[in-house]
Amino acid sequence: MSNTDQTTLAATQSGRPPFYRDATVVKWLAQVFTLLLVVFALFFLTTQALENLNRQGIEIKYDFLGIGLGSDLREGIDTDPDTAGRALWAGAVNTIRIAVGGIIAATILGVLVGVGRLSSNWIVNRICSIFIETARNIPLLVQIIFIWALVATLPNVELDQGPINGVLHLSNKGVSVPRLHIDDGFYQWLIFIAAGVLVGWWVKRRQDRRHDATGQETYPVASFVGVLALFGAVGWVAHPIFGWVGAIFDFIGDGFSSLTPVIVQVVLSLAALAAAAWWIRRFLARRRTPAGLMKLTDDDKFRIIFAGVGALAVIAFVLVGWPGLSSWIINSGTDLLEVIANKFGDGRTGRPMDIKAPDVEQIGNFPNPGPAGLNLTQGGTAVFFGVVLYTASFIAEIVRGGILAVPKGQTEAALAVGLRRVTMLRRVILPQAFRVILPPLGNQYLNLTKNTSLAIAVGYSDFVQVGQIVYNQTGKTLEVISLWMLFYLACSLTISVIVNFFNIRMKIVER
Amino acid sequence: MTAPMGDPAATVVDPAEAWAGEQEPARKPEEPSLSAGEWLSKNLFSSAVNSVLTVVFTLLVLLAVRGLLNFTFSEERTWRAVKTNMRFLFTHAYPQEQYIRIWVCVGAIAVMSGLSVGLLARTGAGISLKKLSMNLMGTGGVIGLGILLREPSAMVDDEGMALHGDPAAAVGDSFVGWLDANALAVLGVLVLANVALAAWFHLQGTYLRDGPEPRVAHGVLMLASVGVLIVQQYATGEIVRESFADAMADRAWWWLGAVVLAGSGAALWFGLGDARRRNTFVPAIHVFFAGAGIMVLSAWLYPWGHYAFLEGEFISEPGSTVAMTTKLPWTVMWALLVGTFLLGRALSTAGAVSRLRVPLNLLWVMTPFVLYWAVLRDPDLDWDHVLSTDIPMAVFFAVFGGLVVWYLTHPRIGEAGRIMAVVLVGVAVLNWVAAYFGWYPMLQKARISFLLLAVVALLAHNFAGDRTQRLRLVAAWVAIMAVFHWLVTLVNSPSTVETPTDALIGGFGITLIVAVFTLLAAFPLGVLLALARTSKLPIFRVLSTAYIEVFRGVPLITILFFFTLIFNLFLPDNMSLTDIAGATIGFALFSAAYLAENVRGGLQAVRQGQYEASDAVGLTTVQRTLFIVLPQSLRVSIPPLVGQVIATFKETSLLAVVGIFDFLRIADKVISAQSEFLGVKREGLLFASFIYWIFAYNMSKHSQRLEKRLGVGER
Repeated sequence: MSNTDQTTLAATQSGRPPFYRDATVVKWLAQVFTLLLVVFALFFLTTQALENLNRQGIEIKYDFLGIGLGSDLREGIDTDPDTAGRALWAGAVNTIRIAVGGIIAATILGVLVGVGRLSSNWIVNRICSIFIETARNIPLLVQIIFIWALVATLPNVELDQGPINGVLHLSNKGVSVPRLHIDDGFYQWLIFIAAGVLVGWWVKRRQDRRHDATGQETYPVASFVGVLALFGAVGWVAHPIFGWVGAIFDFIGDGFSSLTPVIVQVVLSLAALAAAAWWIRRFLARRRTPAGLMKLTDDDKFRIIFAGVGALAVIAFVLVGWPGLSSWIINSGTDLLEVIANKFGDGRTGRPMDIKAPDVEQIGNFPNPGPAGLNLTQGGTAVFFGVVLYTASFIAEIVRGGILAVPKGQTEAALAVGLRRVTMLRRVILPQAFRVILPPLGNQYLNLTKNTSLAIAVGYSDFVQVGQIVYNQTGKTLEVISLWMLFYLACSLTISVIVNFFNIRMKIVER
Repeated sequence: MTAPMGDPAATVVDPAEAWAGEQEPARKPEEPSLSAGEWLSKNLFSSAVNSVLTVVFTLLVLLAVRGLLNFTFSEERTWRAVKTNMRFLFTHAYPQEQYIRIWVCVGAIAVMSGLSVGLLARTGAGISLKKLSMNLMGTGGVIGLGILLREPSAMVDDEGMALHGDPAAAVGDSFVGWLDANALAVLGVLVLANVALAAWFHLQGTYLRDGPEPRVAHGVLMLASVGVLIVQQYATGEIVRESFADAMADRAWWWLGAVVLAGSGAALWFGLGDARRRNTFVPAIHVFFAGAGIMVLSAWLYPWGHYAFLEGEFISEPGSTVAMTTKLPWTVMWALLVGTFLLGRALSTAGAVSRLRVPLNLLWVMTPFVLYWAVLRDPDLDWDHVLSTDIPMAVFFAVFGGLVVWYLTHPRIGEAGRIMAVVLVGVAVLNWVAAYFGWYPMLQKARISFLLLAVVALLAHNFAGDRTQRLRLVAAWVAIMAVFHWLVTLVNSPSTVETPTDALIGGFGITLIVAVFTLLAAFPLGVLLALARTSKLPIFRVLSTAYIEVFRGVPLITILFFFTLIFNLFLPDNMSLTDIAGATIGFALFSAAYLAENVRGGLQAVRQGQYEASDAVGLTTVQRTLFIVLPQSLRVSIPPLVGQVIATFKETSLLAVVGIFDFLRIADKVISAQSEFLGVKREGLLFASFIYWIFAYNMSKHSQRLEKRLGVGER
């Protein structure tokens, strides 16, 4: 053992331990080893899959998206899509539709139940807690299938459909309500709305400042809404004057399509380099003190090297790994711009929007819900109410927790000042509770969006169900699953960006 | 047992309490008892708005309850479908003649639970007799109200078809008929009258004076509403229904139950004085045992009927008690549960808790493996192979590994230990590389054992200690090797239980098994991910963050499809996964991401000082993590972890979507496809909801109690 001690002693005297005892080196060795292990595992799995696919004569290609699909969808913007890609798009719209509607409905219901759970009225309190305990302790899938089976007990479709003919139709085919119909001039009208938001925002800020300066009531929110309404009303008739906007997008699209892949590759590579450089500069800036640059630790050096290596890896991927990426970007970018340009066509002079009442049409012997209203099929009804009830029970608990987290003194003070209970809740309690509520609420929105994928069990044509139809017909399982994951990751990312935006705003208010 | 202090068990230091590290918070001073009238005016009719809320919501509840009862007990419901398929619902295709294995499993769980609860659970104060009697009376009252609210049965002819009457004659010619036709209007008027009443009394200021008049008036109007709800259903309309008297007579058993419950509650209430019913406590577990005992007893006495689906035949004997193959095992289970509970209590009083806690917990971890692989599967061991290969190999690893552990945990081992550990890691990695390129053959079991040994060798110096400590570690290693090799041998042996499906067992059995194995796999992975995510090392952090965000951002169903449909594509030719194994991996990877976030919350709750202190005493990173950080952070994250357990349990219902015959799929698809019960879905789904609910609800209640006890929110 004395031998060991001497080595250690020698190492200490020389200032640094040998490399295999140097904490920094060992840490980075372990990290690089793990990284290699992960990369190797992924590599192993991928080569194995490619090999297996090769043997079966299958290639991983996404060209099936352009091939026709032999079957119809039950509902959505396009029930008889030409291509698999179009069908998936219709499915994605269905998912987004039900997720957005579900988020709104679940929030309203959840807040009501959460507040009711704190009511001093015994029976309201009990009902809310029974609702919560029932809805959140039964698996969502069971609830969805059960509601689906319940809708089947509703009466058949008839020509004068009830309960409220022309407004609300309930039948074993699902639910129909009036629909807001986007018409010809909608996109030109949107330009007016955007302008209205900008001007309204400016007016609101002015009113806010005046209020802060003078203490007068200046109605900032009301002015914002008023300006927006004014712009909307003017735009309702004046929107055709924006017919020329489409030409601009056409022009940009032409320019985009004339790019060559090499230019895009160079741009992407430069962007990767710039990102790495930006990161390193920011990193160094943080290490800078008034007295000059701090001495960099080994850790820091490893980090900087890693940023550079990462950028190089991206460049290698763009140039060598997947050269087709650039032309794909050019093609799809051109397509997108063309679609946008078409939305602003010169000939679009109709009204921006219409409301259409649900109807029943009789084709052959059986009446069916007509295309005018917003129809939720049996499956759609099941998914919608399933996710709304389930998520509302969680939101209610979050709201309750948030309200309870507001110190009791706030309530007492508000009541002592003479605020009414409703005003107190709106002005004192909820704004403070909101800060606690928001992060878990965002998680629930995320869960709701992901849970709409259970539609597959009841045949609602959402993204996952359409995907299943597609791979059953084309055999492209791997590709479809990758599309699923990308789509939901994009949804999750969008929701977390929005929630984070509000979260940060809330925090600024706090200071 | 009067008062907490009078309980002999309560005077012993409770192990769970020692673990929680703090005393139960002092009981809050109870509010003085209110008379019924006082309670009503305080909680339901305290102001005009409150009264209106009460009236409206009571009516809504009654309508909902009536709808639910009429749905559940309607003649259209074929509950026989559920009763007949009980075996399918819980175990699906597990062969009838091997059913004793199922009972052995249930028995083992009963024994373990009884022992654990008896030994470890804190006695607490339990339920006060006041609460108990109130619950009994409440249950009786609710049943009574339900009997009244349920619609009368339709009269049927010999073929079971409902008799049809003359709809015109029913409406309008009697008071009941009139009420039926105008029920909504009448109820609306009653509600409006209530609102007007509330407004009038409010303007008078009577609510503030606490006089009884407004409550009495509201009460009369509400009773009238209930009356309308009940009477309305006895109008004979299109379908001829039985009369009120007949309906009540048909529900005699229910009446009996309601009266017994309410009566025993009332007897308790009035038999004891206010002080005694408040201060006498019954342990909750005794109430549970009593309830379960009554259920088991009723299986012997009450004619529940015997229904079964055996060898393609539907058996239906409504008049008899349940089959011997049901009531006998359940009686045994009950006896085992209670017996082991009493044994556990006795051991606890004898002070054996500290010695038994660790073995018991280890046993719990082992139980799922043993029950699934050894009991349910009944593997057919190849004894020649076992004797010639398996046992020698296990002995070799036990002895060799034991020596390595003994050597490497020497406190002053120094450089030599490191070199040896690195050599072992090299050997372990080389084995896998060799397997990849096919250089030399080696059993997978040996390769994994080498890898385990290498990991242990790398970590060994963190556990260095005196002789006893080292001996303990060696013993632990030998035990791990024995169990590991035994289990791998079992897994590799073919099962002798033959089922018509791919899966060994289905129904609720597979739901539980998948949930348990998912959690067993997800928990360590989740902790590792959480540690990596909070680590200061960037690559670990980035990898773990990427993993967590990807798995949390994607719906579970797509992950399950990936692992059941195409994951085999990613595996070498000689390997493949069954659907259930694939699904379990998918569940585990998904749950691990969520568990990691829960554990991360706990890790962030550990104070910086704890890290600094452990660095100051010279602990290594591994020691600091294992002995200082994790114990504290896991304790904080227990409630969210239980939440994740519940979520995983509920998520297993997704097995139905990927085509595995789990509980939900049998309730939804299998029963409704049987010739006898074509299209019968709602009954099975209601039953499945109920069972899922019982499990999830009890777990969540338990977690809430735990949260309160740990006082997580309060620090």
